[in-house]
Amino acid sequence: MINHQLALLKREIWEHRSIFVTPAAIASIVTLGVLAMLVFASGFAAELDAAIFGAQNLAGDPERKAALTAFFLGTSWVFIIALAILTVFYCLDSLYAERKDKSILFWRSLPVTDAETVVSKLITAIIVIPAATVIGIVATHLINLIIVSIWVWMKGGDGGMLIWGSVSLFDNWLAAFIVVIAIGIWMSPFIGWFLLVSAYTKRSPLLMAFMPLILIGLLEGIILRTHVFAENVLGRGDGIPLFHTGNIEQFFEDEQWRLADNATSLLVHLDVVQFLTSPATWAGILVCGLLSTGAIYVRRFRDES
Amino acid sequence: MTSLVSAQGVTKQFGSFTAVDNVSFEIEAGKILGLIGPNGAGKTTLLKALLGLTDCEGKLSVMGLDPFRQRKKLMQNICFIADVAVLPRWIRVTQLLDYVQAVHPNFSRKRAEELLLQTKIKANSKVKELSKGMVTQLHLSIIMSIDAKLLVLDEPTLGLDIIFRKEFYANLLNDYFDEERTILVTTHQVEEIENLLTDIMFINDGKILLNSPMEALADNYVEVAASGEKANLARQFGPIAEGQMFGKSIMLFEGVSREHFEGLGDMRTPSVADLFVAKVKGARK
Repeated sequence: MINHQLALLKREIWEHRSIFVTPAAIASIVTLGVLAMLVFASGFAAELDAAIFGAQNLAGDPERKAALTAFFLGTSWVFIIALAILTVFYCLDSLYAERKDKSILFWRSLPVTDAETVVSKLITAIIVIPAATVIGIVATHLINLIIVSIWVWMKGGDGGMLIWGSVSLFDNWLAAFIVVIAIGIWMSPFIGWFLLVSAYTKRSPLLMAFMPLILIGLLEGIILRTHVFAENVLGRGDGIPLFHTGNIEQFFEDEQWRLADNATSLLVHLDVVQFLTSPATWAGILVCGLLSTGAIYVRRFRDES
Repeated sequence: MTSLVSAQGVTKQFGSFTAVDNVSFEIEAGKILGLIGPNGAGKTTLLKALLGLTDCEGKLSVMGLDPFRQRKKLMQNICFIADVAVLPRWIRVTQLLDYVQAVHPNFSRKRAEELLLQTKIKANSKVKELSKGMVTQLHLSIIMSIDAKLLVLDEPTLGLDIIFRKEFYANLLNDYFDEERTILVTTHQVEEIENLLTDIMFINDGKILLNSPMEALADNYVEVAASGEKANLARQFGPIAEGQMFGKSIMLFEGVSREHFEGLGDMRTPSVADLFVAKVKGARK
């Protein structure tokens, strides 16, 4: 059972190399951007000396800390958006492509159940892709902090104190890990829905996945003049109950909010217990389970001729 | 002899269309059975039912298992090639071997690698880089490395040239087949496989028209070429099919002893193809 699952997960990574290529590409682009910025900044020698001197004499400067945190969260956000899009396409492709190229007949000629197969796609979407995201975030962060601190040293500053001394790196990485995994769990009803559409649709899975969602939202607004579906389903991403105060948007974008309670690490903002005890979290997991079971059922019982 | 496959009153309907119509048969272990039928005859539906890919009415048992409900267990002892194009195009040969090795308890990787060494297929090639013939060789190498009791081949050589087709069947007979194993094959190119079959089954409009060991065909069927008055004498025995060739009447008889035709004309056992055409035309009348 576990051996099967490992083989199936490996299979997913072989087929969808973008799961690791995408984070690697983003990491490269961010690093190139940082290098370009450093080369550009090196042109202003006098201003740079003054800035480094000024920074070193402001020990524990909250602005420096805020800037490093903003860089961390800004790059993390790029990873999260890119991998969220990747997850959508991955899920929609996962049970559709094998039917389109008829390789499903080969996969099903082996002693692997449909449930095992669909579960492997679910694990890929909820665990493997988020893990690749976190690895990408941490690697990018680490590489760029090393580059910048070496550069600061070359310019005569104390890179260790300036770059490494002011932020709790492990706390931030752990925070990134929690946020990414929580987003995956929170959005899992969509993953279940995409898998079901992927298993069911005869053509254009992207359209078939989004059209019903948008139509229901529109019809509800027009006929009932309410927005329950739009707010709770389409707008689910905004409502993730992972933060003590505020929301995910503030966490990533609102520097003032982050600084308000003089937080020393990003972990302070997160409330894992609230997330895990929220009925909305469990309702989402339940919906994901039902929709994925639907996908298993469709793959199992539909005649592919 | 034990029955490997047992079907009793198997029926499969798609809406009002009956693809397989109350079919009953047994397949014994150690046979090579050819399932022959025109397009839309119900061959593929019947195979799918045997492989547990589709549900059906009636009693169907494969190695004592219900194929639809015990599919995972069944797949440990059945192999099938549904069509040459079903290997995923993105996968590498080594990845394919890794995967099958991980999920199939009866797969011998060593044997698969030995078989692949006899071909031009490279271990790190992707399936999409291989020619159609090589993809079939790859698939067959994998299938032949699985110790399975039943091998089901649905049009395995479709779209391949004659050299590959000959090799395919030669490999199948020499390297794979033994008394423990059973092969069920469907094809349009019946002339190419009739020499290797032990049994034959014709299917048309979802019904079985003929189910016979190959060696029994000579006892039950005879083709007589006669002309003039002799042809009229032969015709009294009620041929199931008749055609003209080189001024002679070619008549096919079922269940008529050969001694009745002594002196009337040349006699021979009809080819599977001729017999098939006669049976299908007869069924349509």
